Amino acid sequence: MNVDGVIAIFRRVLEIEEINADSDFFELGGDSLLATRVLSGVARGSGVELTFDDFLLSPTPGALAKRIGAGE
Amino acid sequence: MTVTTTVDTGDLVEALAGHRHTGGTAIIHNGHPIGHAELAERIDAIAATLGPDPGTVAVLTSRTPATVAALFGILTAGGAYCPIDPAYPPERQAAMLAAAGCRTILLTAQGQRAPDGPRAIDVTDTPTAPVTPAATGPDDPAYVLFTSGSTGAPKPVLTPRMAIAATTASLRDLFAITPADRVLQFASLSWDTCFEEILPTLTAGATLVFDDEAHTGSFPRLLRMIAARGITVADLPTAYWHELVHHLADHPAHTEDPLPPSLRLLIIGGEAANPARLTDWHALPTGGVRLLNTYGCTETTLITHAAELTTETGGPVPIGRALPHVVEHVTAEGELLIGGPALALGYPGLPEATTERFTTLPAGRFFRTGDRVERRPDGQLRHLGRLDAELKIRGIRVDPAEVEAHIGAHPDVAAVAVTGATAAGRTVLAAYVVPAARAARDGLPAAIRAHLHATVPGHLVPGRLTVVEELAHTASGKVDRAATHRRYEREARR
Repeated sequence: MNVDGVIAIFRRVLEIEEINADSDFFELGGDSLLATRVLSGVARGSGVELTFDDFLLSPTPGALAKRIGAGE
Repeated sequence: MTVTTTVDTGDLVEALAGHRHTGGTAIIHNGHPIGHAELAERIDAIAATLGPDPGTVAVLTSRTPATVAALFGILTAGGAYCPIDPAYPPERQAAMLAAAGCRTILLTAQGQRAPDGPRAIDVTDTPTAPVTPAATGPDDPAYVLFTSGSTGAPKPVLTPRMAIAATTASLRDLFAITPADRVLQFASLSWDTCFEEILPTLTAGATLVFDDEAHTGSFPRLLRMIAARGITVADLPTAYWHELVHHLADHPAHTEDPLPPSLRLLIIGGEAANPARLTDWHALPTGGVRLLNTYGCTETTLITHAAELTTETGGPVPIGRALPHVVEHVTAEGELLIGGPALALGYPGLPEATTERFTTLPAGRFFRTGDRVERRPDGQLRHLGRLDAELKIRGIRVDPAEVEAHIGAHPDVAAVAVTGATAAGRTVLAAYVVPAARAARDGLPAAIRAHLHATVPGHLVPGRLTVVEELAHTASGKVDRAATHRRYEREARR
């Protein structure tokens, strides 16, 4: 899954259009519960099962896409 | 009004002791079994270390069996348990310890740092010692928990041993727990919901399962762990269940067999269940897993009402019927009042708040829940909303006035209104802040967030913080939270 795929998931989950590769999920109102929706979307789109801790360390679409790439 | 209840007030310490020599497994912690006998020894060791009459004992919680041993150790010594979340800011912890009057704090994990003040005891490695359980009465305190208060100070709730014993007995029957059950430990150890998992399970001689795989945020990993450990019962916050249903409904590959075959009962509670998610749930091949919606308040001990969500109900999801130990009364205004043995003793140190919410009627003492309900033709209750401004944020009660008090304490804030907003189908806190005359608007939301993170738990930090020119007021001059929200909502959405 590339960075655009992750941006699309952020937009859908946060219901905010202005998301770019450096948008921080948790600064935009994301919490641990909404994070499960992102993790499910990532698992469905790429088959990579990330954890909440992975997401905390890579909270932007750019960083998360890199982590997904490493797992694919 | 019903006034008859079926009450079992046999003390929990006695109920647990009955399983000591059965050879059963009390806890499985990341695959490592702890027998009822070993757990009993750990409990005795903690009770012996505490000595008689320890008063209210704080516990710095952790997701470990040591926290469970600490809970029962305190009850065995005749004290009251008071959980403190180690992630809370020190200032909040200190306020909780002071409000509960704790002289002792137990540390349940390596590396925990004890707050200043009370005597700290590490219970991860307490020497074994025999102990005789303290003689206690049904009205003696069992635990102190905190709920949201309007002043900004944590509001303690004191619950007697009779309340937790009566509720536990009802829940064992409701969940139909047998020694063969394996019950998932999922809820935070710093709130009361975890007692729903711990107490009916251990007092029935069943097994409580702690597993780090339950908390990774990944549903596939959670479901695989449930299957691998043979878990039969899980109790999830309703908000988390909503996400699980989203996940299952969105994963066509998993819908052949979406839930682990071992699972027989799923309990949800904490906030109103979304009817759309229930429709999705019933469309899934859930393999006959029993789904139970539950309702209760801290002041009425865990769960007072439950509904079997067996079929599509349509409209608001019912909270069901009163459990056998509960006395229920619905006022003419539709407010649900709860009486019976499960009532808390009150809010210690807050006589006015106690008198306001705990009221005496001809049929006895009742707690005013503040929840508006309606009775369906089949006798089940439906929750219609609140009679006050209280909100549920991720299943935790929040009084907007408490958040306003904390934000208003920031020197750069002139006025503030806090309300609930809907985002991604959930309730989040939205704060509207008027800056003080000479305060800079830029950076104010970040400064307020930093101030809140240093003083209050995360659930009291608004997800949305918007700087505005002025708040809306009612005709009588009071701040109008709803009108302020309507005026600025578009701006708050960025």
